[in-house]
Amino acid sequence: MPFRSVSGAYLAQAADLAGNPGQQAAYDSTGHCVVLAGPGSGKTKTLVLKLARIMAEDVRAPRGAACITYSQECARELTRRLERLGLREAPNLFIGTVHGFCLRHLLMPYARLANLPVRFPLAIATQRQSDQAIKRVGDRLFGVGHPNKPMDLGRHRRSILNRASIAWTSEADLAEWAEEYEAELRGMGLIDFDDLIIFGQRLVSEHDWVLPLLQAKFPVLAVDEYQDLGVALHRIVKRVVFDGGVRLFAVGDSDQSIYGFTGADGALLQELAERDDVERVQLQLNYRSASRIVSASELALGETRGYVSNDPDREAVIAFVKCDDGLEGQAAHAVAGIIPAALAAKPGRALGDIAILYRDYRTGDVVAEAAAAAGLDFIRVDTAAPYRKVALTSWIEDCAAWCADGWREGRPQLRGLLDRWLGFHRTRLAEAEARSEAQRLTRLLWSLRADEGLARDFVDALRSGMLDALMAAEPSLADQREQVVRMSAALAVGGPLANLDLTSLGGRDGSPLHLNLLTLHSAKGCEYDVVIMVGLDLGGLPWRNELPAARRESRRLFYVGLTRARDEVHMLYSGYVDTRYGRMHWGRSPFLNELEARMEEAEGE
Amino acid sequence: MRISRIKIKNFANFSDLDVDTGENIVIVGENKVGKSNFVRALQLVLDPGLSERDRQLGLEHFWDGLGEDKLGQTIEVVVELTDFTNDPRLMAHLNDCVVDPGPPMVARLTYRFQPKANLGRDPESLADYEYVVFGGDDPEMSVGSSLRRMLPLDVQVALRDAEKDLSSWRNSPLRPLIEQLATSLDEDAREEIQELVSEAQADLVGRAEVVATAQRIGERLIAIAGKQHAVPLTLGLAPTRVDALLRSLRLLIDNGARGIADASLGTANLIFLALKSLELDRLVTDGERDHTFFVVEEPEAHLHPHVQRLVYRYFLGDARDDEDAPPLTTILTTHSPHIASVTPVRSIVLLRHNVSDETTIAVSTAKTPLTERDVADLQRYIDVSRGEMFFARGVILVEGDAERFLIPAFAEALDIPLDMLGITVCSVSGTNFTPYVKLLGPQGLNIPHVILTDRDPNGVNPPLVRRRLINVLQLVEAGVNYVPLDADAVIARAEPFGYFVNSNTLEPELFIGGLAEAMQEVIEQELPINQTTRDLVQSWVDDTDDLDEERLIKLIERIGKGRFAQALAPHASDETCPDYIRQALEYIRDAVS
Repeated sequence: MPFRSVSGAYLAQAADLAGNPGQQAAYDSTGHCVVLAGPGSGKTKTLVLKLARIMAEDVRAPRGAACITYSQECARELTRRLERLGLREAPNLFIGTVHGFCLRHLLMPYARLANLPVRFPLAIATQRQSDQAIKRVGDRLFGVGHPNKPMDLGRHRRSILNRASIAWTSEADLAEWAEEYEAELRGMGLIDFDDLIIFGQRLVSEHDWVLPLLQAKFPVLAVDEYQDLGVALHRIVKRVVFDGGVRLFAVGDSDQSIYGFTGADGALLQELAERDDVERVQLQLNYRSASRIVSASELALGETRGYVSNDPDREAVIAFVKCDDGLEGQAAHAVAGIIPAALAAKPGRALGDIAILYRDYRTGDVVAEAAAAAGLDFIRVDTAAPYRKVALTSWIEDCAAWCADGWREGRPQLRGLLDRWLGFHRTRLAEAEARSEAQRLTRLLWSLRADEGLARDFVDALRSGMLDALMAAEPSLADQREQVVRMSAALAVGGPLANLDLTSLGGRDGSPLHLNLLTLHSAKGCEYDVVIMVGLDLGGLPWRNELPAARRESRRLFYVGLTRARDEVHMLYSGYVDTRYGRMHWGRSPFLNELEARMEEAEGE
Repeated sequence: MRISRIKIKNFANFSDLDVDTGENIVIVGENKVGKSNFVRALQLVLDPGLSERDRQLGLEHFWDGLGEDKLGQTIEVVVELTDFTNDPRLMAHLNDCVVDPGPPMVARLTYRFQPKANLGRDPESLADYEYVVFGGDDPEMSVGSSLRRMLPLDVQVALRDAEKDLSSWRNSPLRPLIEQLATSLDEDAREEIQELVSEAQADLVGRAEVVATAQRIGERLIAIAGKQHAVPLTLGLAPTRVDALLRSLRLLIDNGARGIADASLGTANLIFLALKSLELDRLVTDGERDHTFFVVEEPEAHLHPHVQRLVYRYFLGDARDDEDAPPLTTILTTHSPHIASVTPVRSIVLLRHNVSDETTIAVSTAKTPLTERDVADLQRYIDVSRGEMFFARGVILVEGDAERFLIPAFAEALDIPLDMLGITVCSVSGTNFTPYVKLLGPQGLNIPHVILTDRDPNGVNPPLVRRRLINVLQLVEAGVNYVPLDADAVIARAEPFGYFVNSNTLEPELFIGGLAEAMQEVIEQELPINQTTRDLVQSWVDDTDDLDEERLIKLIERIGKGRFAQALAPHASDETCPDYIRQALEYIRDAVS
């Protein structure tokens, strides 16, 4: 019987699962459950409904569930969907990244008790502080201009948890660099993002008493995008689940594991799914893509998955397009040729339904220039994006959505915005204080409601009204503050987003009137009517001479790009790439060759 | 779950109190020592019924000993909890409050009333003060009302007006029980009741007498106002719904003859406690609470001593030991020895005023190293003596009844008024002083005490007192090797601790010390003895060197040592007081003053 404190809204939606045996099985699971979910298979819906059911039927406050996901954006999406089911983040419902989880639910309560070598209150290094310390220590140890790469340092720290192991010491330079860098941070009284997870993992591994405490608070642990979460989280999960008695609900897709360079590994999910004490559920039905796109994706992957489109009769376009003039030519063709045709092909289709995907921000620059030259409004998500998405910037965007229009229908809900604001405080506020903060914020947001207006004015007012004071008082927000500052800079006069209006700042997943420019990595979890992939030449995707593991990951990246499309996929190439040694005619991407050949073979039968 | 430690700083009677506590807590102390303030302090941390304003204290709440220096000081109340790891719900509540992972795991809740954090100057008035309630070591880890609601401290105040509470529907502890009853009635039952009631009502209003009365009123109305203006009248009952009927159910006593209002105060109080106890069970079953700290202040009020003890026994365990009992920590306050006497020794928290420091301190036996046998011994004694030891400022430990009667007599003769000084004579009925010294020693209740014991020669072997004293000395001094010490050396070591020994056995010592004639008189009064014996006693009186100690003791034992001592007591005098008794009395007099 559902407890009265939780809305029963999930029950109505859960009825929809009945037609999908996989989703229903996951929804009905009572023990550990791993859901292997192909692209477009409704995994987020399944996860959200299952969480709502657990909160309503299986746990009761103060006990609850933690839902860990890969990125701030994923967490934001989950929060949004749960809100619609009447569930908000609460002391007994955590929704956030693994970093957030380690900070709030492992380090803050237990680091002191376990005598971890960190200073209180916990202060997290900003990206700049961390980058500078890495460089400083690297130069000191190996001399200026040394060949070791910070990215390898990060991977080493994240993927090898046992510092006493041969695997750790065998890469002597990285090990020494890591240890000296960490000592440098500690000297400054700081920890960095990777520390959060490393320490979190140490807490659950080394201290048995942490397990029952964690199990008491969160008898259920849900993990989304498991394949992207890396070995440290995997250890934490295995320890709290199989030693600590926490019930696991994990969702993921090994085929979409594209973060190997951060230490993530799709095999970890498989390992869980194959355990005898775990129920394995496979979601086969693809609600997103037309049938031809579903089959083409499998061919591109080179594995048989048996995925089936929910809408087998829908027409699809799969085009291999050769463009002269390299990337510039591809971008120009996308903007001038494909996009107008796609807009005309289906009534009601808007720029927001179209995405141009590429491997890295340099290509993004080329595409952005072409789009700007054609006078198209666009939103760009890659490392050259004006700011990185963090909890604070997401919150600002949601506040903008509320002020622009959302307050009329409660999307997002004000209560949720207030709760998240309170959550930014390092510790729990006393009730009176929390109330007065919430009142002030409500007044501020109410006064900032506007049907039109520049995002700049809104963010300025929000910052000077309350946000700057908060960021000054909370050292744990230092790294997020950096992104807020970058957001302001981008919105400033002369900045790349100077003309962004309030509605667009608040728009989720871009706005309907903006073309989407994304890296393949950022496109994960998104879907568009029309996907245009550019730069599909050997030397672009994949790089030339990739080792087998890297090549497999490039292939998965290609697969992710294909599977974003509902109706149309356009694959653009030129047959050569421009490198610093000049133009190299290595031909188009071998993935295209394979795919085209396999498609001909399959469709010829 | 239980409270394992309580600390109170700068609040009311307490400057710096720190006490370990056991399974349940019985706060024992004289009037005005601060029992109620002790409970108030716990409320600041745990009572969900306290408002924000209640937690914003006034100057009068600061410890009086601070005098003019109250502003700038901080009031703090700390409650530590343990034994909660077997309940995941409790663990979830206390997750952020853990200060020691254990085992045993310990969680801490703190109330602090302090100058505002960002003041930047010395506080000028209490407007510059704020309170925080936080968990663990981090004052920023605020503890909210939801935790207090689920783990509430529920206080039943002293001398409550139980009758008034019972008669008001809103506050009545009867109300939830009736409401539960109302929801448990199914439709059929409701219909049946409704029908019966309607029938009875119809029957009543249809009776000729009722109709006639209505008619009389109607006629008079017409007489006054005329037919035009008078409205037609009948006598009847407003339609009664079942729920309204249930609400009007009242508790009755004496086979329904009288209401609670007519019960004695004591009975009303008892009924109130019974209802309250049922309510606690219900709250836990309904999931509205996960643990209750149930405080009853002075429940002995208006109750006969026998009933007092029964009530306490019920709330302190015996009756509630079964598995289904709701998770409850009972906290009682009392100034009644009757109640102290039935309290498990481990649950006692003794409040004592410390005159020199103008503060009340607390001691307990929660961590006293008592063995199970020690506890059993003490419990028996405390029960029999009705717990008077807990209210003593000093204790004289003696072997048996003889001393118990004679020591007060000698004290009076020496002008040391035991009662006035708050000194109690406690007979351990034997020579096992160990549990008592543990109980009264610095690891226990920390009450000044002396021991009076016999030398008990043992032939060629060392006198028995040597071993006896060594057992006790080992509790109060560490690292001494007693092996090379003979009996006299041990006795010499013991005297500074207040342990005094005679040269033989009490009665012969008194005989030789000047009470020979008085003792002869008592023996002759109390025993039918023949002439030979009379002559023998006479010969001892004539020359105490001839005293046959064994014979004398045999005679006295025939009378009973206690009875003998009682009869002898009036003869006690300054001159006849044996030295070791004098030393002990002077020692304890100095220790308590």
